[in-house]
Amino acid sequence: MASVRERIVQFIESEGHRVDASPLDEAEGVSELLFRTRGQVFSVTTFEQNPGAFTISTAYEIPDWARERGQNVETLARVNDEFPDVAFVMAHDGGLFVTTSDEAPGSPEAFTRTFWERVGRVREAGARAIEDIVDRTESKAAAEKFINSFMRSEQ
Amino acid sequence: MSDPLTAIETALEDEGLFCTRDDDDEAYRIAFKSEGDRYFVVAYRDDPNFLMIGSGWTLPAEIDTFDALDVANVLNVRKKFVKTALWEEERDVLFTVELCVNSPEEVRPNFGRLLDVLRDTAAEFFDELREDEA
Repeated sequence: MASVRERIVQFIESEGHRVDASPLDEAEGVSELLFRTRGQVFSVTTFEQNPGAFTISTAYEIPDWARERGQNVETLARVNDEFPDVAFVMAHDGGLFVTTSDEAPGSPEAFTRTFWERVGRVREAGARAIEDIVDRTESKAAAEKFINSFMRSEQ
Repeated sequence: MSDPLTAIETALEDEGLFCTRDDDDEAYRIAFKSEGDRYFVVAYRDDPNFLMIGSGWTLPAEIDTFDALDVANVLNVRKKFVKTALWEEERDVLFTVELCVNSPEEVRPNFGRLLDVLRDTAAEFFDELREDEA
């Protein structure tokens, strides 16, 4: 019988996408599958010892000018409230963030049935986060630091 | 004449997609899938400046043709690039981007955008009809 990894690779390829599969932990049967869709690279992690569980991830680069902004972590936390099924992790000293969804559909076949919806959900969450991070229209975030410091000093 | 669709094949490779060729005496043709949906690209041998990228769908039996025409008209007014057309007898819906190019190489950097708008237009078309149905 084909491995979990092979079944998911076959599915993604049958949907038209090239897949780059590599082992993350051969002893534990953990693999990473990379593919592109709509200009974005996604990673799917498969677990041979837990064939009903998967993760879907994608990374978004934060533009240089927005990296030093203090509120990026808060922005991710706020977007996380809207997308509680998706996790956000800041990486590379604030240069990018990774959006991840842990999936437990129960089997590879069940995973493939909702695969593109789940990929779409991760993309939607990540796109919302990067949109909010680069949003220059709100003054609240800029003022927040000062508001907090005024409150602390009981002005 | 050199193969006009080589640049499109490269664009598809840039997008991480497989494709197949199905050329004949009349035209150069590419077929490919993205997220499981089927698309095609056509360049006619006797009209080397014309390039068409498209996807074809079947109109579900429960959808009224006049409702579909209304939605297609709205999308044709609103959407950039994409033409939505109904073949009423066959109950087929065709979403196409039709371009006049000196070389398909011009399309390569914009291919992702064109694919997105094709995909979004088809999704909006069927979403709108399902809402009408409900």
